[in-house]
Amino acid sequence: MNLYQPQLMRIEEIIEETGDTRTLKLQFENPSVAEQFDFKAGQFGEYSVFGAGECTFCIASSPTRKGYIEASFKEVGKVTRAMRRLNVGDTMGFRGPYGNHFPLDEMKGNNIVFISGGIGLAPVRCVIWNTLDLRDQFKDVTIIYGARSVADLVYKRELQGWAGRSDVKLYQCVDPGGETPDWKGEVCFVPSLVEKAAPSAKDSYAVVCGPPIVIRLTLPLLEKMGFAPERIYTTLENRMKCGLGKCGRCNVGPYYVCKDGPVFTSAQLKALPPEY
Amino acid sequence: MQELRDLAKKLLLDKQVNAILGYEWDRRGARPAFITEAGDCDRLVFDHRCVQNLAAYLSPRRANIAQLGRLAVVIKACDARAVAGLIRENQLKREDLVLIGVRCGGVVVNPSDSEQLNAENIAPRCVGCEQREPTLADHLVGETQSAPVGKANRDLRLSEIEKLNPEERLSLWTSLLSQCTRCYACRQVCPMCFCERCIADKTQPAWIESSPHSRGNFSWHLTRALHLAGRCVDCGECERACPAGIPLGLLNHKVARIVASRYGYAVSDDPSRETPIGSYRLDDEQEFIA
Amino acid sequence: MNNRRMLNKTDFEDFVDSLLRAGITVIAPVRREQGGEKVEYRPIHSPAEIVLSGQPPVRPLKEVVFPPTEPLFNWKQTKASVQIEEVPTEFKETVVVGARPCDAAALEIVDKVMGWDYRDELWFGRRQAVTVLSLACPQSDDSCFCTAVGLSPESTRGADWFMSSVDGGFEIEILTPKGEKLLERCKDRCRETKGRTNAMPSLDAKVRANLNIDPGKVREWLEKHFDDPLWSDVALRCHGCGACAFVCPTCHCFDIVDELDGIGRGQRRRNWDACQPALFTLHGSGHNPRKDQTARFRQRIMHKFNIYPARFGEVLCTGCGRCIRACAAGMDLISILSEIDRKSAEEGA
Ligand SMILES: Cc1cc2nc3c(=O)[nH]c(=O)nc-3n(C[C@H](O)[C@H](O)[C@H](O)COP(=O)(O)OP(=O)(O)OC[C@H]3O[C@@H](n4cnc5c(N)ncnc54)[C@H](O)[C@@H]3O)c2cc1C
Ligand code: SF4
Ligand code: SF4
Ligand code: SF4
Ligand code: SF4
Ligand code: SF4
Ligand code: FES
Repeated sequence: MNLYQPQLMRIEEIIEETGDTRTLKLQFENPSVAEQFDFKAGQFGEYSVFGAGECTFCIASSPTRKGYIEASFKEVGKVTRAMRRLNVGDTMGFRGPYGNHFPLDEMKGNNIVFISGGIGLAPVRCVIWNTLDLRDQFKDVTIIYGARSVADLVYKRELQGWAGRSDVKLYQCVDPGGETPDWKGEVCFVPSLVEKAAPSAKDSYAVVCGPPIVIRLTLPLLEKMGFAPERIYTTLENRMKCGLGKCGRCNVGPYYVCKDGPVFTSAQLKALPPEY
Repeated sequence: MQELRDLAKKLLLDKQVNAILGYEWDRRGARPAFITEAGDCDRLVFDHRCVQNLAAYLSPRRANIAQLGRLAVVIKACDARAVAGLIRENQLKREDLVLIGVRCGGVVVNPSDSEQLNAENIAPRCVGCEQREPTLADHLVGETQSAPVGKANRDLRLSEIEKLNPEERLSLWTSLLSQCTRCYACRQVCPMCFCERCIADKTQPAWIESSPHSRGNFSWHLTRALHLAGRCVDCGECERACPAGIPLGLLNHKVARIVASRYGYAVSDDPSRETPIGSYRLDDEQEFIA
Repeated sequence: MNNRRMLNKTDFEDFVDSLLRAGITVIAPVRREQGGEKVEYRPIHSPAEIVLSGQPPVRPLKEVVFPPTEPLFNWKQTKASVQIEEVPTEFKETVVVGARPCDAAALEIVDKVMGWDYRDELWFGRRQAVTVLSLACPQSDDSCFCTAVGLSPESTRGADWFMSSVDGGFEIEILTPKGEKLLERCKDRCRETKGRTNAMPSLDAKVRANLNIDPGKVREWLEKHFDDPLWSDVALRCHGCGACAFVCPTCHCFDIVDELDGIGRGQRRRNWDACQPALFTLHGSGHNPRKDQTARFRQRIMHKFNIYPARFGEVLCTGCGRCIRACAAGMDLISILSEIDRKSAEEGA
């Protein structure tokens, strides 16, 4: 079996998140692979539909939840379209886990601020659950999340659950024009929501994922609020093929995003050429 | 040469254009030059090594070239047909360009050829070319030169291939096309391959498999040749660019002969001339439908 | 016993013939079917086909270990269940006769990326199966610059045997255990010899005259000049094709695609790819991190002369000159590197 050969996974459940985004719950067909499989929050995999091809998604479930993985994907092209045609019980391919991860051990004992927009919540969700499953090892947990419209919010059930928890501070917004009459969150863009939430930078780490515009505006804002660039984490989504540091596609500056990333600090991004 | 340089200088100084697209010497022969300063116009050259069809750079898809602003372009008669094609197919407006036509006595195949132009090294398209000066031009420079009689004879080569039986022909092309690695140099240098997204790059569905195996290569080459039917200006750039040595010019020539015999059409440098692929006539032969 | 042998021409041909008769694949430079003087590395059927003189093959040796397209696995689907059929990672014994030193060295350079952390079994499987007999370079041209990147027309790097043409035959230096194993097959044909007695005059000085730079200085300059007018100037000419990368012995980028062989069965393949076409980095969203040819051409130079050295300790270029010969637009790596060298000296001074 060579490096590029995937493990087979069965679709256990399909969850409609938004009009164009779905979450798949997947289980390894081979029990011994399932047994041995382990990963860390922030890692990704190459998922495939046989006959359509492979594409890259983060593992959106938490490593603390054993026996399955979840991937949330947005339909944008060939493989993601083919993925939407799959049903529960169908077989997919998976290679992984690949890449680095969020330094959860280092973050323990600190506050964590999660900031994300749109489908960017997928990689963050993995760390959120990882953190919440080890809740007593962290101080304050703040989640700041926004989407274009109410219909574009992903993980709605979980957002409700987090809203109901006393040990989580949840701030939500939708872009102006995207609200519905019964929307209770804010109506603004994610960076303004960050300003409103005004999380303290003291003993804090920030995890920011989302569309490039959210990242570009939020990172400087956090620094202005006193977060050290070394304590602001984000992920890059350069196009990938191999995930193994071979095919050259994800290369930006000195990094192979698939091996040195996808998790980077704001300090690292500053030293990078703007090719992401 | 001085005439060309003086004209280029004037065009830049009078601000008629922002840049001149022409030829210059490099270490190994002639190469495309992009000149924005009047002081650099003395770099411009033209002779039998100025092989490249600069019309390839005029596609609106070349963002970094569009940034240069209004261009004057040095064109040979064969290149003029490509400019006409781009105008005809709404990629360019005639008034947005200044065309500097050069009279030409034929070019070599390889721009780093250090030999004089001779019967061996003259480009196949120049053998029998009767035009030698572009009619589609704002300025004409240089003197008419006569070209050596060339040895390359594509018609002869084609009739040799036509004499082969179908299996022999298939095995010839299978062997030639097996060398294609799908680098797409042939497409990228072609002035008429200007599509925003080439059919060979489409994935939904993947009409043409991207793998350089026999199946993929045959579909690529059939499609390329057909998409250029009646559009190929016979500049020879695709064949010159191909690192695999595939005789693309032969395929193009064959298609051009079919277009000529069926539609009485030869590619022209008149942008207003209707083309077989771009027009429809009731009396077009359509036996393939019936 | 030392590691030098002498093999006369007819014995050499008999040796190649014996390999063929033993069912070993022999690859050597041969004339193209329709290419006049041009040669390519191809499997041969008789030693008479081998062309050891003249220009280097247009395409590099890399395709012997890294084919332009290769299956990664096959699959079959019945209802919802999928079966995967592996492809072998062991390959048929192959001997390359008359590899150029710039091609042989490239294999070792690319080994680094293919083997760091994850090992690419398809690459190393073929590497294992292929024995490389290099030949001291018989002819250089105005595109060669191996001496500027730490190699030479007599570089033995990546070779299992290094052969030099001498009067009446070849002098052979056995360099690796794989080379020794191959020597077993022609022990009785060759005799021991002291050293390069009568070798052809070296091309070293001629190649050095093409380009003489310090790759370390180039790297320092690149490190500091991600933005420089040089990039937008040179990239104007570039058509953004894959020719330079596909003829390059060290370029190793690839794409992974799925293809159907019929209903319910197909294969996943990897195909050569390159950083010059726009599609290489285009995101699903339509965003392209390297938005124009300026950015893409810069990547080519950066990856070869800055990124790869930073990561793997040496430049991703053997100075073979193929990209220069192949480029339809006249992009000239020698001019570009000497321009960088000039700029770097200017700034250093
Ligand atoms: C580390 C990492 C993590 C990621 N995590 C996630 C995640 O959790 N969820 C998620 O949804 N995404 C994620 N992505 C992005 C995801 O990988 C891509 O959206 C996905 O690979 C798209 O694959 P595709 O085959 O559907 O698109 P492709 O078909 O490959 O298309 C990609 C783009 O190519 C172009 N294209 C392709 N074919 C055509 C055509 N026929 N015509 C015109 N244009 C075309 C278009 O620009 C298209 O949008 C992640 C990416 C990375 C690198
Ligand atoms: S197909 Fe070839 S000869 Fe014809 S216009 Fe294009 S590049 Fe020129
Ligand atoms: S230039 Fe040659 S090798 Fe490249 S895609 Fe065209 S025909 Fe194939
Ligand atoms: S440098 Fe030449 S060969 Fe390379 S992409 Fe540009 S035009 Fe093609
Ligand atoms: S970059 Fe050019 S000179 Fe260097 S190894 Fe590749 S093809 Fe040869
Ligand atoms: S130069 Fe470009 S194509 Fe070649 S290995 Fe580097 S990134 Fe890949
Ligand atoms: S995805 Fe192939 S090198 Fe990173």
